[in-house]
Amino acid sequence: MDLLQTTSEALRLLASLDPTLWGIVWVSLKVSIGALLLISPAAIAAGYLLASHRFPGRRFLIVLTQALFAFPTVVVGLLLYMMLSRQGPFGSMQLLFTQAAMVIGQMVIAAPILVAFTLSAVQGADPRARETAIVLGAGRLRTAWTLLREVRFAVMAAVFNGFGRVISEIGCALMVGGNIAGLTRNIPTAIALETTKGEFAQGVALGIVLMVLALGVNFAMAWLQGGGARR
Amino acid sequence: MSPVLAAGGLRVRAGEAMLIDIGHLALERGRGYLVSGENGAGKTTLLRALAGLEPVEAERFAFYGKPTRLLPYPGAMRRQIAFVHHHPYVFDGSVGDNLAYGLRAAGVNQKEIAEKVSDAAAWAGIGHLEKRNAKSLSAGERQRLALARAHVLGPDLYLLDEPTANLDADGRRLVMSLIEAIAREGRTLLIACHDRELLALPGVERLHLVKGRLEG
Repeated sequence: MDLLQTTSEALRLLASLDPTLWGIVWVSLKVSIGALLLISPAAIAAGYLLASHRFPGRRFLIVLTQALFAFPTVVVGLLLYMMLSRQGPFGSMQLLFTQAAMVIGQMVIAAPILVAFTLSAVQGADPRARETAIVLGAGRLRTAWTLLREVRFAVMAAVFNGFGRVISEIGCALMVGGNIAGLTRNIPTAIALETTKGEFAQGVALGIVLMVLALGVNFAMAWLQGGGARR
Repeated sequence: MSPVLAAGGLRVRAGEAMLIDIGHLALERGRGYLVSGENGAGKTTLLRALAGLEPVEAERFAFYGKPTRLLPYPGAMRRQIAFVHHHPYVFDGSVGDNLAYGLRAAGVNQKEIAEKVSDAAAWAGIGHLEKRNAKSLSAGERQRLALARAHVLGPDLYLLDEPTANLDADGRRLVMSLIEAIAREGRTLLIACHDRELLALPGVERLHLVKGRLEG
């Protein structure tokens, strides 16, 4: 394998807007952004509730969230596979090897990140923010909205962090998506497949896209954290 | 005429420690009260308790003569009692947005909000700052914004925690003039303060706290 030749071939593939390659990128973006859009409201609300309310079992839920944070994605995929397979409790829904199954898997993977980051952001908020909202007559919902708005940079960083994790995960996508060309083949599963087939150029091209996305996410987070620090 | 609030056996605890233990407290309408005391005497805690920000117990409590339970904190008291922190918090948004916050929470319509916000900003002498981000204001401007943000809601009782502390001479003078304006409107003021200038407010009465108890 000539690295230089492979890289130039990869760049040529990217520049030529190769439909197969960009189709794979599109599947990745659609699944990961869809998963985040679906899970973010509930996960951010859960993070807020864990941070701002005392109730029995709260401590356990926080520890559970932190434990799930480091849960291997392939195990998430395995559990989801068992639930969605024909003999599983949700087998009749015929979701296995669909983009919907990949979205569900990525929602499960992103949720603990979003909950834990939101929890930490709300706990780190100035306590006077909540008190000021309350004494000015805000109800629970408005107080929650106000507080989340005050820590919005940290919450947005949580969403970007979740995106960074799901866009690059392979274990769950492979298990429940099945790596079907044109349907569930996303960037990480395609890279793995192309490499084993010896098709390095497409693997490198997709790797470049993934790197650009990851760098973009990191720049976005750095910018957001800077924005938060200025305030 | 009933006092704004009258309390008997008012207590705030933190575990075993008793932070506030007041046998009797009555705040008459239109009067100014200055709560003095050493650091840690309970001045801020008393104000926070009356604002519903600390869990408080009271053997007897009446708001405008009406017996009232403090837990959960009654909505009527929330509407009539303003609390301003020692270092007021301003929301990340324009000065106008900050002034509008309580009005929006109260469901006031947009047109009325715009008028009231403009009046409140002018009242506090921050009309020229209405579009500025509140986070960029100086300490004195923030204090005036916080007073205006409370004043726009028209409360009867103001609980002000060290409103003139850490301000320069100009800032103090401007904040003092707003507090005097509130007093002239016939509102009741309970101010935790070391500032002797505030003692010159009309009809001001001094309450001295020692280890959470009222003395003298």
